[in-house]
Amino acid sequence: MNKSFLKLLSKRIATSLITLFLLVSFLFVLIRISPGDPTQKFLSAEFSPELKEKVAENFKLDQPIFEQYINFVLNIFKGEFGISYNYRQPVLLVVWQFLSFTLVFAALSFLIQIITASYLALRTVRRKGKIFDKTVLNLSLIVYAVPAFVLGLSLIYVFSVQLDIFPSSGLRSLDFESNSFLGKIGDYIYHLTLPIITLSLAGTALFYKYLRESLEDVYQQDFILNLRASGYDEITILKKHVLPNAIGPLLSIAGIELGMLLGGALITEVIFSLPGMGRLMMNSIFTRDYPLVVGCALTAGLLMIASNFLADMIKMKMDKRMIKGLIN
Amino acid sequence: MSNKIFVILSLVFIVLLSACKSDKQEFNNRVVIGIPADVNTFNPLFALSVDEGAITELLFLSLIDFRWNNELGEVEPFPMLAESWEWAEDNSSITFNLRNDVLWSDGEPFTVEDIIFSLDVYSDPEVQSRLYGIFEDFYTDEENHIDINKTFVVKSNYELQIKFKPESSPDLFDVVHPVIPKHVYEKYERKDLSTADENFVPVTNSPFLLKKWDRNQTITFSTNKNSFLYDEKRINELIFKIIPDYTSRLTQLKKNEIDFMELVSTEDVSDLAGMENLNLKTIDGREYDYIGWNNIDPEEYNKSGKVSPNKFFGKREIRIALTHAINRQEILEEYLYNYGTLAATPVSPIFTYIINEDLEQYNYDPAKAKNILSKQGWHDTNNNGVIDKNGIEFKFTLAIPGGNPLRRYASTIITNNLKAVGIDVSIETMEMGAFIDNLIAKSMNAWMAAWYIPIPIELKAFWNSDLQNTQMNFVSYQNIAVDNMMDELTIINSNESKKQMYFEFQRIIHEDQPMTFMYWISNIVGINNRIEHLNVSPLGAITHCWEWAVKK
Repeated sequence: MNKSFLKLLSKRIATSLITLFLLVSFLFVLIRISPGDPTQKFLSAEFSPELKEKVAENFKLDQPIFEQYINFVLNIFKGEFGISYNYRQPVLLVVWQFLSFTLVFAALSFLIQIITASYLALRTVRRKGKIFDKTVLNLSLIVYAVPAFVLGLSLIYVFSVQLDIFPSSGLRSLDFESNSFLGKIGDYIYHLTLPIITLSLAGTALFYKYLRESLEDVYQQDFILNLRASGYDEITILKKHVLPNAIGPLLSIAGIELGMLLGGALITEVIFSLPGMGRLMMNSIFTRDYPLVVGCALTAGLLMIASNFLADMIKMKMDKRMIKGLIN
Repeated sequence: MSNKIFVILSLVFIVLLSACKSDKQEFNNRVVIGIPADVNTFNPLFALSVDEGAITELLFLSLIDFRWNNELGEVEPFPMLAESWEWAEDNSSITFNLRNDVLWSDGEPFTVEDIIFSLDVYSDPEVQSRLYGIFEDFYTDEENHIDINKTFVVKSNYELQIKFKPESSPDLFDVVHPVIPKHVYEKYERKDLSTADENFVPVTNSPFLLKKWDRNQTITFSTNKNSFLYDEKRINELIFKIIPDYTSRLTQLKKNEIDFMELVSTEDVSDLAGMENLNLKTIDGREYDYIGWNNIDPEEYNKSGKVSPNKFFGKREIRIALTHAINRQEILEEYLYNYGTLAATPVSPIFTYIINEDLEQYNYDPAKAKNILSKQGWHDTNNNGVIDKNGIEFKFTLAIPGGNPLRRYASTIITNNLKAVGIDVSIETMEMGAFIDNLIAKSMNAWMAAWYIPIPIELKAFWNSDLQNTQMNFVSYQNIAVDNMMDELTIINSNESKKQMYFEFQRIIHEDQPMTFMYWISNIVGINNRIEHLNVSPLGAITHCWEWAVKK
């Protein structure tokens, strides 16, 4: 079992790496054949035309795309992703500066989504058809339909402009360093409350919907009736029989959602001035910072694959019958 | 059980929140400026964007301080790192006497060696600084690198003579650039200067020191008590807060979380004007919108490199008719709320000493436009509402870059205005990168964009007839008289002759109307009224901000 598991695992990792390589290769070619180039910012009455040419030469943009691609592949195998044209620092260093925030922000949001959605789904499924159930169901539909920028700006208007409870943007206060340890944690919470709500509400509604439906399906199956007839209490039925059967669809969607969160939450980051991967990626695309675009895409792709992989591992842990199917 | 957890979590949340402070500006000697994007370097060699330029110039002083004189309509030089300077009688050299009390922030003294090193690296092709290729008046090698031996004569640690090429026409702008410390950067290979660690932790010679750079959040400068410009009565901390979203910047300005922001939208002016804590000022005459009419046939040019007149816009009479047909005043009043002025030529009204006031605007006059078009042979022969000539209908696409509400609004007015004179215009919104590609390739017929004009005035980069080498002449305007004038402007020294030449340049451009000059757009600056001694001028809003103070 272990040997075949490892074999299948290696196969999955190899497939993932090939997918990733194809993704960045595709992106490499796509962004270079798209209009615009990184030397456009050197086009100014204040700069000489020679500067633009020199920079293009330095960035090796004067070489044919195929030659650039070969160099790019060779560098990737050496672990070199180049220097960002904008930041003038190694791409991986720049990505890490933004990724560290995104990892924490995404993980927090993800946890809040899962916990809130699970809590609401478990509460409402046992009160099916009652006012609380109907209210949550309808609210979840509304929340899911509201775009993030509308939600974010509305929250800023209400809680920042009108009520003046939370700041409108930023990650830390200007006097952050002068806070005590507790004060620093409080400062982060103070600044991240509105962004976390903005980022989490739609995902919560989605998870809630999936889990609520799965739980209802499982509760309606005959074996639950048998268990109840056999005298099992509701908590045992829920923990041992309902949840393991209902959580599959949630895990599938959770893997994708986590991957997307880790790739950056552009709108939330822009509205609340947060230094995440979404903003980095967007700026690198607009300024045609080719090495950074590839670095961001590679990171986002890796995280997406890793989060899906993680979700599959959890599924396998819960149901060993799924091992072969999932790995394939 | 779950209710208990909820109560405990809420209590923890409240306790933590109460332990933190808001960013509201109570009294302190700190000023917070909201900017839309972070800088990428603090090294003036590589400061490409407007914000980067303004911020690095606060950290690295120049030999001379330029200040705007509104009455003269030009910059005036004042001593800064140089106490005095003297031109040779024949203008072939300049000698600077430096202050001897300037220290770099690491304690090293500032000397003439720093100036020589700075000009050396600015012009070094290996470095690719933002100023590479502009040292035309200096002795340089074939790669435009300044020849140090021929150019600099060190008379002492604090006296330096700079010599210029014979028959050149140098001015102070040629030598006045932010000076960087030789002892810091000389250890790097020239090609590695752009990635030097000190670009992010700068050693400065100014009244400001970098205290903290929290990437994409804040840049904090504290004052340098060892600087000759330090004054304890002025601000002691300057913070640039990066807020990419305009609405968030505006909210923070209203809430006193930031003290200063530029580019306030005209639609927010009435709201801000009613707020007691804010003042509004304008920076005028640095940017104008225009409609570019490609003077040449883009297809022919791109196919064979041949220059032939554009079938629609090749004749100046047609371009004048188009300007008459467009109601620029309406856009100025309805969208810009008169925060701007109609433009007649590319010479900004801020340059009062050279502005030709005899030129009359081409007023909105559709009847006159129709009349001119008719005289040029454009008639609606088939009564379909679109004028035509030799079987070609006057129908074209006007390209605008995306993400600019003013241009979106203006393009609708322009479409309607031109439709009224029988011209069918369709609007194409393009992504900025694609738009610039098309500009460079000269492949569009008509477009709307803006020019940000440099100080001192620069015209040759926009209007020289050499289409291959004049990178900003997107409309492909060609006029030998204008070329000669711009060449002469670089060599004549008499102010009166220069003035007459600028007058003539404006007259020709006005008559040729290579583009429709729309309006000069004011940059509206929102400022918290607790800031004093702030001087907003065409040179910028934050120049000299070490002179700012905060009201008690």
